[in-house]
Amino acid sequence: MPRPVTVAAVAGAAWLVKRALRRRIQVSPLWPMPALEEPVSGRPRSRALRLRVAAHETIADGVVRLRLEGRELPRWAPGAHIELVLPSGLVRQYSLCGDPEDTSSYTVAVRLVTDGRGGSREVHGLREGTQVEVRGPRNRFALVAAPSYVFVAGGIGITPVLPMLRALPEDADWRLVYAGRTRASMPFLEEIEKLGRTGVPAPERERVTVVEGRPALDALPAELPEGAAVYACGPEGLMAAVAERVPAVRVERFGARAATGVPFEVELRRTGRVLTVPADSSVLSAVRAELPGTLYSCEQGFCGTCRQRVVAGEVDHQDELLTDAERADSMLICVSRARSDRLVLDM
Amino acid sequence: MSNKRGRIPLKARKVSFSWDGTPLHWVPGDPFATHTMNVLHLLLPAGERWFVHVYRQVLPYIRDERLREDVIGFIGQEAMHSQAHDEVLPHLKEQGLDPTPYTAQVDWFFEKLLGDRTLPPGRARRWWLMERVALIAAIEHYTAFLGDWILNAEELDRRGADPTMLDLLRWHGAEEVEHRSVAFDLFTHLDGGYRRRVRTWATAFAALVFLFQRGTRFFMENDPTLVDGKASFRDFYVRGRRGTLPATGDLLKSVPRYLSRSYHPSQEGSTEQAAAYLATSPAALAAEAAESEGAGVPSARVEKGAV
Repeated sequence: MPRPVTVAAVAGAAWLVKRALRRRIQVSPLWPMPALEEPVSGRPRSRALRLRVAAHETIADGVVRLRLEGRELPRWAPGAHIELVLPSGLVRQYSLCGDPEDTSSYTVAVRLVTDGRGGSREVHGLREGTQVEVRGPRNRFALVAAPSYVFVAGGIGITPVLPMLRALPEDADWRLVYAGRTRASMPFLEEIEKLGRTGVPAPERERVTVVEGRPALDALPAELPEGAAVYACGPEGLMAAVAERVPAVRVERFGARAATGVPFEVELRRTGRVLTVPADSSVLSAVRAELPGTLYSCEQGFCGTCRQRVVAGEVDHQDELLTDAERADSMLICVSRARSDRLVLDM
Repeated sequence: MSNKRGRIPLKARKVSFSWDGTPLHWVPGDPFATHTMNVLHLLLPAGERWFVHVYRQVLPYIRDERLREDVIGFIGQEAMHSQAHDEVLPHLKEQGLDPTPYTAQVDWFFEKLLGDRTLPPGRARRWWLMERVALIAAIEHYTAFLGDWILNAEELDRRGADPTMLDLLRWHGAEEVEHRSVAFDLFTHLDGGYRRRVRTWATAFAALVFLFQRGTRFFMENDPTLVDGKASFRDFYVRGRRGTLPATGDLLKSVPRYLSRSYHPSQEGSTEQAAAYLATSPAALAAEAAESEGAGVPSARVEKGAV
């Protein structure tokens, strides 16, 4: 039997410890666990945003402009695009053509393509108040610093160019060839012609050339100022015509995503094998045929299990997980595909 | 997948929730019950990310093809759970309840304390991996318990709890019930030692109780709408009797079940009930609809269904 003195001493000590602990916790409620310096949880991710269609108006023949409202939207730079996940689940990319400083809404303009794949028809049918999912923004058509600029835009291809023109300083040296079927079908024409006139000092020659029909581009290389950055966006034929004359042109492609229907090669650098990824199957399934132990899980681009390091090649990222920094050197092979003919993976 | 009759292949459902209409106290008039369940949003993003991290390392050790497939499905589901709960955190912050001080600690807990350690390859490294696999099995016993509870918590419906939050918790709970055997089967497959099971259960249980009471106190004290918010064990017990939180008695009764030598998770909860909920859950249905439209993501899935 312990002596009563011992019992009293132990009980007293326990009471003191309890009181001390309680006081300590009162002073700093989160004592005693340390915290991670850069917390991971709750950090905003480049995941989907849910935006509301706040305005839906026709701004030219067959072209509607949508204003998508949200809160504290990520900032963007001219040339950026977003991915719009339509209510049916279709995913389409559209260039942003609003004000980059506005963090409460994104603006896109969409032309109705009646014989297209259904995306634009659905956009045109959206009602104000509808919720849509938006991913991005991302930019693969960024405005570089250059002594002068030449833009070639075809029809709705004006959308990424417009914020660039607005962002350029007033005294910048730029030219724009803006082509369209008819003037009535060309969006933002008025604003663009105004931008073309309001340079300081007043531009020596016409900055904006508006063309109905096919533009004559043969004189383009000869007229090109030294060191000019050339941007083209519009129908495939127009961009090909520009690229033929100015190989260094920067282009932004609309329409079919590289995802579907294009086979390409994947080189597994460490294994020393080259595989062909068919048009209708993923990099993952091609790789698994060669390396059955390859890690993967969701096969929908969100769990990150199948992430691999990319040594060379241009990736068409289709996942929703990786940050832009991570996209620079890795890809999720379950959904992402190649933009170039060959990808080299570190596996 | 036709050769596995009677067994549901685990698949991740890509859900998405909109929190705009969810009030701060989503169990009306009961901040304590709300915040006790809110602690899940603090623990799960980091915790389930840790599950995925550990299981990725374990995959090469699995020699059973079926189990490997289950673990792969498990990883996808857990990754989605982690993200779904993570998206609630900014919503809490918007309502004036910034969870970052607490989640930063939980991040430390899972990324540093339970993270990878610099160990010599071989026995030591394997020991630490197996210890964590066993910890996950013990934690999954409780996630399945909670999943089963939330699926049956009709009292929350009666009190008008927010339907979106209930859908998140029940979708998650149903998937936890659906994959409740995977973690334990994996542990049995790789190690299965009884002493390790008891040891890791004690650690996991103590850690869960510690983190939960701390998280609830954190929320109650920092809730901008409460004056001098307090949390006590009595509050928990009372709500357990009411049915808006798990009953203390049920929690205690689940302890000897896990420690019994004949324990298997398939004896707990009901797969049918989980499947039935997933078949009607708004979030799971939306995920399925988006998937069958095949938007953007090409053939990987078509081909999977055809095998």
